[in-house]
Amino acid sequence: MADFSAQSYRQPFPFLDIDPTMESLTQFAELNPQSFILDNSAFNFQTFFPLSINDSLLSNQASQGETMSGFIHNSNQSSVSAQPIFSAKTEVEEISNKRKALDILESSSGNSSSSSPQVSETGIKRRNNSGKGKRAKSNEKEMEKPKEVVHVRARRGQATDSHSLAERVRRGKINERLRCLQDIVPGCYKTMGMALMLDEIINYVQSLQNQVEFLSMKLTAASTYYDFNSESDAMERMQREKAEEAKELERLMREGYVGIGGVACFHSSSTYGPL
Amino acid sequence: MNNPHRLNPTSLKSRFTTRFLRALTKIRAQKPISSSSPTEIFRRYRRIKVAADKSMAYSVRSRRIWSRAMLCKLRSRSYRRQDPCSGRRSGKTNQAIMKKSSNENTTTRREDGVGFVEEADELRQLVPGGETMNLCNLLDETAHYIKCLTTQVQVMKKIADFYSF
Repeated sequence: MADFSAQSYRQPFPFLDIDPTMESLTQFAELNPQSFILDNSAFNFQTFFPLSINDSLLSNQASQGETMSGFIHNSNQSSVSAQPIFSAKTEVEEISNKRKALDILESSSGNSSSSSPQVSETGIKRRNNSGKGKRAKSNEKEMEKPKEVVHVRARRGQATDSHSLAERVRRGKINERLRCLQDIVPGCYKTMGMALMLDEIINYVQSLQNQVEFLSMKLTAASTYYDFNSESDAMERMQREKAEEAKELERLMREGYVGIGGVACFHSSSTYGPL
Repeated sequence: MNNPHRLNPTSLKSRFTTRFLRALTKIRAQKPISSSSPTEIFRRYRRIKVAADKSMAYSVRSRRIWSRAMLCKLRSRSYRRQDPCSGRRSGKTNQAIMKKSSNENTTTRREDGVGFVEEADELRQLVPGGETMNLCNLLDETAHYIKCLTTQVQVMKKIADFYSF
């Protein structure tokens, strides 16, 4: 059984080397479920060929390029929710252990939470297999798929110990999150370095906090002014306040998607709102 | 011009709006005619600001580290205000815990190997509960915190405009 799995494991590699395009990888994925039915945890092929987990996903989608752009858009839109995209730190350690044990190719892929189809950046890089002698140079392929496990593949000429791998994964996570923040915070340009972006983010958070303080002061002033000029009858005031609260909620709900157009939208809506 | 769609009643914005408006009416009901002394006004301003932060934190519940930290801070402060005796017990232990954790983390000088230590520390001071987060989580929390702050500012702006008509 070990022979069979080792043999079948080695089979797909010629495909990878001869034809380094997306189609080859889909072929590879299709080959996968057939060859590795006998996979077991001993060799942990599932970690090496995560494509097998999502082969249904692959088969459904025509081209990888489309999915990649689609997922990128998804990430940009859903980044605001900011759920932790990457989860598996333990997986990296696991993989590094397996790597030391078996010293075979691994694929690097991003990670995504299983609940939501968010972006995970997967770079599948090849490395010269020591057992095969000289092979083709490593290429970097980007494939976006929702995955559950983080794999890290060493690039040619880079250190392959577990620490630098974990470092690289962490740096990748941080970069991903900085990119999401860049979309949220106005005034961040891609050409800016990380330090500048962090400065911009800090300024933005400070300005937002100041705005909240200023608005609460404004509300205090408005409420005291209102109290001074209102009728002395407390009951009536309470009733009016409740009615106003209800109306205001209604108005806020209605205006919610008029946009952040602000005052103009507010005025225009107030004309038709029954006061 | 009727909008057929309704805003999601469970969205962050609506949750925050209802809570904040309720708190506002409560505040205004407490002190119907307040003197115009600066201390009174300042006190009311503090109350409104705390109400804003509290309603935002409660709208997010404990799903985020920053909201949990903010709720902790608010609770300890309110305990200290109400009852000095109990405040000394619970508030102090709470603050002691938070101070201890923050001291540990600041003395260990989080060198994450990425090299943005100063900015990261500044960001940690801004985001509530940021002292206990590594850079990765800090960026996550910052994104969510910014989103909540913008919602807060939006709603408060509209309320202020309404009241100043």
